[in-house]
Amino acid sequence: MNSISLYVERNSFVHDIDPITKLIYIVFAILIPIILPSFTISFICVGISLVLLAFAKVLRKTVPVFSFVFLILITVIIIQGLFKPENETILFQIGPITMYQEGLLFALTITLRVINIVSAFMILVLTTKPSELVESLVRKGLSPRIGYMIVSVFQIIPEMMAAVSTITDAQRARGMETEGNFFVRVKAFLPLIGPVVLGSLINTKERAMALEVRGFNSRVPKTYLYEEKTYAHSKLIQSLLLLGIAGAIVWRIVS
Amino acid sequence: MINVKNLSFSYKKTEGARVLSDIHLEFDQRSTAIIGQNGAGKTTFVKLLKGLLKPDIGQITIKGQDIKGKTAAELARTIGLIFQNPNDQIFKRTVLDEVMFGPLNIQMEKSAAKEKAIEALKMAGLDHHLDTNPHDLSLSEKKLLCMASVMAMETDIIIFDEPTIAQDNQGKEKIKQIIQTLKDKGKLVMTIIHDMDFVAENFERTIVFNEGKVLADGPTREVFSQKQALLQANVEAPYITQLADKLGFAGTVLSIGEFIDKVDANK
Repeated sequence: MNSISLYVERNSFVHDIDPITKLIYIVFAILIPIILPSFTISFICVGISLVLLAFAKVLRKTVPVFSFVFLILITVIIIQGLFKPENETILFQIGPITMYQEGLLFALTITLRVINIVSAFMILVLTTKPSELVESLVRKGLSPRIGYMIVSVFQIIPEMMAAVSTITDAQRARGMETEGNFFVRVKAFLPLIGPVVLGSLINTKERAMALEVRGFNSRVPKTYLYEEKTYAHSKLIQSLLLLGIAGAIVWRIVS
Repeated sequence: MINVKNLSFSYKKTEGARVLSDIHLEFDQRSTAIIGQNGAGKTTFVKLLKGLLKPDIGQITIKGQDIKGKTAAELARTIGLIFQNPNDQIFKRTVLDEVMFGPLNIQMEKSAAKEKAIEALKMAGLDHHLDTNPHDLSLSEKKLLCMASVMAMETDIIIFDEPTIAQDNQGKEKIKQIIQTLKDKGKLVMTIIHDMDFVAENFERTIVFNEGKVLADGPTREVFSQKQALLQANVEAPYITQLADKLGFAGTVLSIGEFIDKVDANK
C-alpha cells in the first residue's frame, strides 16, 4: 500500500534529531525573518535550511515541492511587479508591460519567506516519521485522541485509495465502464462512491470498537510503544534557537 | 476455453521481481481450483484473465479470441469474477436491483435481466429476499448475493475468489450446489481458494502457484499426492487426505466417503 507520508529513510544526523527540536527550528526559521526583515537574514535562513536538507540527503526529494511552490510564486512576482498600488519606479519595460521596483522587491520578500517556511517544514516532514512526531507531541501533552486522529489519517487515506481501486475492479467486472467521456464517468460515480462511503463507515465503526476494547479511553497513564527519541545535543540546539529568537526580539526593540 | 501463453506480469514496471512469470496454461471445462500461499500470484492471474490487468508479456485467448485491447467491461459478457469482499460491490437499495446491475450493464433486456436475476437468486437461496436492502443481509448472505449478481450475467466462465470465507456449513453446502449447477450447465468454474477440503470435494483440476509460477497442475487427486510440491508451495493437503496418509492408507483420499471405504477395506 502506498504511503502518503513524505518521510524518506536515510542515515543522517538530521534524521537523528528529535521532532520537537525540528519544530522549534521551524518556529525559529519563520520568526527570525519577520522580526528582522532584511534580505540578508532571509537568505541566511533559507541557506541554513537548504544545507540541513543536503546533510539529510533529501535535497532531491524537495524538487517537486519547490517546483509547485515556484509556480505559485511566479504569479505573485508578476502580479506584484505589475499592479502593486505603491509601484512608482520603473525597473524595465517589455512592450506595453512595465515592471516596477517596489512591487518586485515586495514579491521577493514574500518569495523568500515562503521558500524559508517551506524549506523549514521540509526538514521536519522529510526526516521525521509521522508516528514519531505525534508520539513526541503526546509526550509533551497533546491529547492522545488528537494524536491518534493525526496518525490515522496517514493510514486511512492509503486504505481508502486501495478500497477505491478494488471497488472499481469489482464494478468493472460486472460490466460497468469507468473510462470514457464525461457521461460515462458520471454514470460510474454512484456504483463507486456507494461502497466507498459505506465501507468507510463500517471500517470507522469497527476501528472505534477495536480501539475501545483495547483500552483507548482508559484514564490511567499510558505506556509508550517506542523509546523516546533523543538526540545528544537537543537541549543545546533548542536553547540556541530560543536564545536566537529572544535576541532577535531584543535587537528589534533596541535598534 | 482459455489459453494462456508465456504470460508474465509485474506491478512495478521499472523495478522489482515479476509477480507472474512465464505461465503457460490451458483451461477446458473441468472445474479448476488455483491454490498457493498468499503472494503466489493467484489473484493477479485471475485479474489478468478478467482484463482488469494487462500482461507485460504473453497472450491470453478466451474462446479463441485474444483479449488484448478488451476492457474488463467488454469481457463481462464472457467471464465473471466474484470478488472476495461483498462490501466492495454492493450499492443498490434492493437485492433484486443489485443482481440486475450486471445483466443491465451488458445490455440485457430489462425483463430478461429480471428473469435471470430471480433465477440466480433462487440458486443462491435468496429469492425470498428480493426487496430486502442488501446491507441488511448477513455477511454469508451478502457473499451469496454477489455470486448471484455474477451468475445472472450468464457468462461461460465464472471465477470465485475465496468463496468459502465467512460461510458456515450450510453456506458451504449452498456454494457446493451452485458450483455443481454451473458445471451441469457446461460452464467453466474456477476458484482461488485456501480451503483445501472444499477443493478436494468440488474441483476436478488443481493448479498450484508458487512465487508467480505454476508448480503443479493436474487432476486434484494427483496434485494432492505430490507432497514435495505442496511442501514447497507451503500448502497443506486436505485434513482427510493427511489423516489417511498418517494411517498408512494406500492412494490419496479426498473425501470422508473414500476414507470410510478405505477403513472398511482394511477391516
